[in-house]
This record gives sequence, structure tokens and C-alpha cells, in this order.
Amino acid sequence: MTMTGQTSNWLIRVSAAGLIAMTAIIGWQVFGRFVLGSSPSWTEQASLVLMIWYVFLAAAAGVHEGFHIRIELLETMSSPRNARRVRIAIQMFVAAFGLVLLVFGSQLVWLVRDHVIPSLGISRGLAYLPLPISGLLMAVFALAQAKADRPPAAAEDR
Amino acid sequence: MEILVLFVVLFLLLALGVPVGFSLLGASLALFALIDIPMVVAIQRMASGISVFTLMAIPFFIFAGDLMYRSGIADRLVRVADAAFGKVQGGLGPVNVGASMMFGAVSGSAIASASAIGSTMVPLMKEKGYPADYAVNVTVTAAIVGLLIPPSHNMIIYSAASGMGVSIGDLFLAGIMPGLLTGLMLMTTAWLVARRRNLPRGIFPGWRAFMRAALYAVPGLMTAVIIMGGILSGIFTPTESSAIAVIYTALVGTFVYRSLGWRGFGEAAAKSVRTASMVLFIIAAATAFGFALALLEVPAQLAALIGFMTDNPILTLLIINLMLLALGTFMDMAPLIVICTPIFLPVAIGAGVDPVHFGIILMLNLGIGLVTPPVGSVLFVGSAVGKVAIPALVRTIWPFYCTLLAALVLITYVPWLSLALLGAF
Amino acid sequence: GMRLSNVFTAADTHPTDYPTVQAVDYLGQLLAERTGGRLGAKVYAGGQLGNERDTLEITTFGGLDLNRVNAAPLNSIEPLTIPICLPFVFGSVDHMRRTLDGDVGEEILASLTRHGLIGLCYYDSGARSFYNSRGPIQSPEDMKGLKLRVPGSDLYIGMVRALGADPVPMPLDEVYQSLAQGVIDGAENNWPSLESGRHYEAAPFYSLTEHLFTPEVLVMSKISWDKLSPEDKQVMRRSAKDSVPYMRNLWDAREASSREVILAAGVEVNTVDPAPFTELMTGMWDEFLTTPQQHDLVERILAQRES
Ligand code: NA
Ligand code: NA
Repeated sequence: MTMTGQTSNWLIRVSAAGLIAMTAIIGWQVFGRFVLGSSPSWTEQASLVLMIWYVFLAAAAGVHEGFHIRIELLETMSSPRNARRVRIAIQMFVAAFGLVLLVFGSQLVWLVRDHVIPSLGISRGLAYLPLPISGLLMAVFALAQAKADRPPAAAEDR
Repeated sequence: MEILVLFVVLFLLLALGVPVGFSLLGASLALFALIDIPMVVAIQRMASGISVFTLMAIPFFIFAGDLMYRSGIADRLVRVADAAFGKVQGGLGPVNVGASMMFGAVSGSAIASASAIGSTMVPLMKEKGYPADYAVNVTVTAAIVGLLIPPSHNMIIYSAASGMGVSIGDLFLAGIMPGLLTGLMLMTTAWLVARRRNLPRGIFPGWRAFMRAALYAVPGLMTAVIIMGGILSGIFTPTESSAIAVIYTALVGTFVYRSLGWRGFGEAAAKSVRTASMVLFIIAAATAFGFALALLEVPAQLAALIGFMTDNPILTLLIINLMLLALGTFMDMAPLIVICTPIFLPVAIGAGVDPVHFGIILMLNLGIGLVTPPVGSVLFVGSAVGKVAIPALVRTIWPFYCTLLAALVLITYVPWLSLALLGAF
Repeated sequence: GMRLSNVFTAADTHPTDYPTVQAVDYLGQLLAERTGGRLGAKVYAGGQLGNERDTLEITTFGGLDLNRVNAAPLNSIEPLTIPICLPFVFGSVDHMRRTLDGDVGEEILASLTRHGLIGLCYYDSGARSFYNSRGPIQSPEDMKGLKLRVPGSDLYIGMVRALGADPVPMPLDEVYQSLAQGVIDGAENNWPSLESGRHYEAAPFYSLTEHLFTPEVLVMSKISWDKLSPEDKQVMRRSAKDSVPYMRNLWDAREASSREVILAAGVEVNTVDPAPFTELMTGMWDEFLTTPQQHDLVERILAQRES
């Protein structure tokens, strides 16, 4: 398997663990309030931060796996040669937007570094950190896809 | 000028085939550059757009649905439904509408309903020989009905946005008849479409077999009982119920049906996180896009246009509906309620519409926006769980769109449907 | 584009007819009058640009010019805003207004500058009290075991826990349904919010603990501020201050009308002896006051109580 493929698989595994952890946290929240009569104060914020992390990490893997929804009309109408050009153009746009996420996501993390997330006591920047990471991965994945000329998405055979 | 840039960039990116989420982000970035808003704002809107508690229902119900499918819970549920209604041609279509109505009614969230029913019903309808596009179209349009049948947190948002003390209790009562009517109309359409497309017909297996199927399905049926009972008795909120559904189905799959091991559980999580991230990434980008639309005051400009065009009440309502439908194709429901209510409600009241009645019109109208491309979160959920591309869905969704529009016309011009129950209590 | 003109964009989470929104509108009129139409303000009400925490961040980035927020979300940005958010630190609306109009208020506004925000003025948010579906609260004993919704803030969580109830952090838009279904027993807020959220339909006991007088704050982005000429900065500061009495009149009227609506709806309202509550509260203050500067502010606030 390629390096990008391995990274993508690893991202999905980490994200799946995040989803399972979020399930446990909300389950604990209900248990604490209804059974123990004492609501844990950290569960709401913790699950929200976790969701940003796993959504953006999995969304980056989605650029490698090509699971993001898109309109494929132009590509299917084009000749094979032009279809290849269209695919490369699409991946270039995705890579560019990934770089935007990297650059301005990093700026975002830096700007809010001394804001605190209530009830967790950690920096707000940690909630935004997955965006630049995801952006970098998206750009790398998109460029690799363009080079290998794999289709960006194919909803039917997912 | 700014509005033009926003939409032209969006359409060009979409038409080229750039994924929907990236297209929305690209259009927002273009606008932000034009009107001198720092790019970092777009990134912040994306992150905080999904940092919303109620959105957790999306990954959770997708996860629960996949667990139900893998563990055989869903299969046993559908066997019961099939035994009961299978004799009717395309019977699972109306069954799906009924399930979506019940679930949407309790959860109040069209997204949760599409995630939950879509992840269970769609794979099984496909197995029974129903085309995926039909199964998804029935699911996503029926999910809208839950917005009308109480409780509905969107009505609460409307009540607050109206700023004039529209009672939430009144709104809940007013939604009942329009919700049931829309549901019945969708059931009829689902059945007619099934006949026209010659969808499969089952055989009634006899009462003995039916009872046995029902018995096997009891632990699965308990999922619905636990979710609905838990919400109604105040043990957990509708959002929390989605996490409870995951835990319950994992336990039943592991200990009762013994068909779900660690491996299956992990695979389900990995599959669900792909689907959920695809949907939530679009919602994140749509939040940045929505910020741009709000700043440009697109809805206010439309309201000014109405006053310019007509003062006839029937026409005014028609134009409001058309404008809301147009806005709904691009923006999500909650931000649209917040933005449009203060702008369109006074226009509607001027045309003699009761504020409670207008709330119901708004719910159904913006609900339709949830199932229309290019920005329709419920449609995205359906496309993801059913593995059908959006264009393939849109090709065959027309009968259902028409039904929803017909229901909208009835609810708009027959105020009695919304207001009759208010006098009764 | 709009940002190139001199009409400041302002965000507010309250609806269009709410006193804070009206006050910033009025501020815009004052600006226009005083600069011959060169400056102005346009309010985006109803939270359409995001919740308070989000718009605060956007304001520090320079994406919005003005932002009206409650003082509580500023706690996680600047610790010096904590003293005015403590329960029972103010004894009355007069005490709160007097303190904030003086040097304590100015000092706290100035502390925001290092975070990219220019604190312009304070608006009122009245007094917050508890409402619930079980029965009237007379003393802290009546709160034992009640599940009370709080905003996701350490201060509110600590406060409700210190009173012996179970704090349930929950977003505001889930509160009505949770009250109706019994997930929670109650929450706390001021008269206008209790009315506009219609939570009293599901929680008809309002007990006037008046535990919090946390004010609203109008902030400007430092990035937008730095672009103004010294004269325009003067006009901006003065106009913001001049919008305060206007806001307070609107607030008092709004509170009275909300009270009328709530009483007419048959909500049981009772007054409360604050003494036993105050005792439990002051014990938890030290948990949130970590610097000598904060302690100093609290002492100066308390010194302004009427004897
Ligand atoms: Na509902
Ligand atoms: Na739409």
C-alpha cells in the first residue's frame, strides 16, 4: 500500500476511535445525570471538541478515498483526455483549499491560544488544531491523487 | 455585485465537479477577499459550525443504524414490516414513511430521522429489490414531516426569532394536522410511485410466521421503545438519545443476537465516521457560506422586493414561499429561520396571516430546502447512507418534491389546517 | 464592499426589538449625526452571525467591528472580567450601575485591549433568578436535588453546585424541550429572557434570588479601532457612553412589560431572603479569584454597596 493510503487508513482508525469515545462520553453524561444525580460538567465541551477532531481528520482521509459528494456531470460528458484534465483541475482546487485551511487554520489556532475552553481548562486553540492538520493532509492527498490520476469521488462504488 | 460573485464562484466550482464542501468554502473565500473580511473568519465559521451539540445526532444515528444492520436487528425489524405490509406492492415505501414520521416526530430533527431511518431501512429495502434512489427519496422527504409534528426544536427557534411571543405550545398544536396531512400525502405518493415503477410485492407468510418474525424482532423493536420512551419520560434529550441508541444496539448485537464482535463494531465505527464526516464537512463549509449570505443581507433585499411587487395577500404569500424556497436551496434551516423570521413575518402579518400559521408555513418551506441541492443536509445524509449520487436521486425525486409543494400550497392557503386545534384546547 | 464603507458591522444574539440591539442602533444614529453621516452602525441581530463566543473571536480577528456580548463569555479570555460576574457581588441594579459607571468598570474595559478588543461601555442585563417546574424556592434547602440548566461556564456550574443543586450544562435552544419533558427541572435567567424564551410555559415557578447582575458589554475590534482618526475615536467613545442611558430606559421598560406578561400567564413569583444564599456563594468566590488584582476589584465593588 502507498504511503498516502496508509496515512489515510490510520486517520480513519483514529477518527473511529473518536466516534466511539464520543458515544461513551454522552452515555456517561446521561448516566451521571439520571442515575448518579450529578451531571458531569466536562462532557458537553469534551464531546464537541472531539467531534471537530474526528470530522476533520476523516474529511482529510475522504480526499484520498474520494468519498466527498460532488457533481460528476462535466467529467462524464468529456472525452477521456479532457476528463483527465477536469480531474486534475478539481484536485488542484482541493489542494489549494487545503492550503488555505493549513495557513489560516494555523493563524486561527495562534490567535485564540490564550482563550480557555470552559469546564475543560484547555486552550481554545486545541479545538481548532485539527483544521490546519486536516488542510495539510488534504493538500498532500489531492496532489498525490492528481499525480496518480485516481478519480476524486465515485459515490456509486463506495 | 458581491452576491453575484458569491453565486457565480459557487456554480463554477460545483459544475467543474469540485466536491460540494470545497465549493462552498471556495465561494465564501472569494467573497471574503472581495469585501475585506479576514480569511481566518471563514475557517473559524467552519469549525464552530459543527461545534453544535444537536449535530451530534448525525454521527450517532448513522453509527447506530450501521450497528443495527450488521447485527441483524434491522433485518429482523424489516421482516416484520415485510410480513405485515409486503403483500401490498411497494409496501415498504409507505412503511418507511410511517417509520420516519414516528421517529421524526419524537426526535424533532429531520437530520436525525434521515440518519436513523436511512441507515436501517435503505440497506434493507435495497436487499428486498427496491432501487436505492427510491428508498432514499422516500426516507429524506418523509424526514421533513418530523419538523411539523411536535416536538420540534426548529419551532422553538422560530418562537424566539419572532420576537413577539408566539407560544411554543400553540406552534406544537398547530403542527399536528399539517404534519399528518403531509405524511399521508407522502405515503400515497410512495405507493403510487412503487406501482408505476413496478416495485416488488411480497407474499403474506401467514399468521404463524408473522408472529415468529415479530418475536425475533422484539429486542430490535425495543430500540424504538427505549429511544421514544426515554425522550418522552425525560431520561434523556433527543440528541442524547442518539448516543443511547448506539450503546443499546451494540449491547443487543453483542449479547442478544451474538452477531457483533469487536471487529464488526470497529468496522461499523470506521464506516460511520466516513459518512458522518462527509456530511458534517459540508455543513461546516455551509456555515461559512451562510455567514457571507447573512452579511450581504440577501433575505432583507428579497423582502424589500416583495413590497415593491405586490400588496395582494395571496400573491404576497406565494412570493414569500417562492423566495424562501429559493433561499432554502442554498442555506440550512436554523440560520434561515433566524434571519428570515424578523424580515418576512411582518410582511406576512401585513397580508393577514396569523403568526402561528406563518410558523408552520416556514417549517415546511425551509424543510423542503433540506432536501434540495446544492445545500441540503438531509439530502446529503440520504445520499451518504444510501450510497446514491445526488444527481441520481434528483432524477427520480420529482413526485416527492411535487407532493411536498402541494402540501405547502394547502397549508399556506388553508389556515384552518394549522389553526383549528388551537381553539380546541 | 461593505467593509470598505464606514458603517460598522455589529453582532448581537438578541432579537431585533431587544434593548441591546436598539441601543447599538441608536449608537449608529449618534455616530451619523456627529460625523455628518461619515460613520454609522448596522446591527445583525438574532445571532445570525454566530453565538457570543464565536462572534467575540471574529471581532478580535477584525471580521466584525462591534459586538454586544454578555460579560460571562469574556471570562475565558480575560480573568479581570470575572469579579463582575460573581454571584451576589452586586446587591441591586443601582449598585451594579454605579460600580460600572466608575473606575472599576473602566479598569475592566481597559483590560480587554490586550486581547484585541476595545471595551466601549456596559449595558444592563438586569438580575438573574431561578425558575423551575417543581415549586417555589425559598431557601437553599429547596434547591437540593433540582436539575438546573446552566450555560457551559465554570462559574455557573460552581454556583449551582454550591447551592446544593445539580448543574446541567446545556445549550439554550435545548432548554424548552428539556423542561417540558423533565430532563431538567429548571434554569435561571432575567425577566425578559424568561419571557422571550417562553420557558415559563414549562417551568411556572420564578423565585427572585437575584443572584447575578452580570452586565452586557459592547466591544469594538482593535483592528477597526486603530483605523479611526483620534477625533473619530473620541466620537465613538462618547456616543457609546451616550447610548447607555438610552439603553437603561429601554431596559427598565422591557423588564416591566416582561414582568407583566409573566405574571398574567399565572407564573408563581416569590421573593427570597438572599442571606443564606449569599453565605454559600461567597465561599466559592475564592475558587475563581486567583490574582491580587481580582481580589482588589471585588473589594472595591463591595465597598460601593449601600450600607
Ligand atoms: Na417533531
Ligand atoms: Na437546499
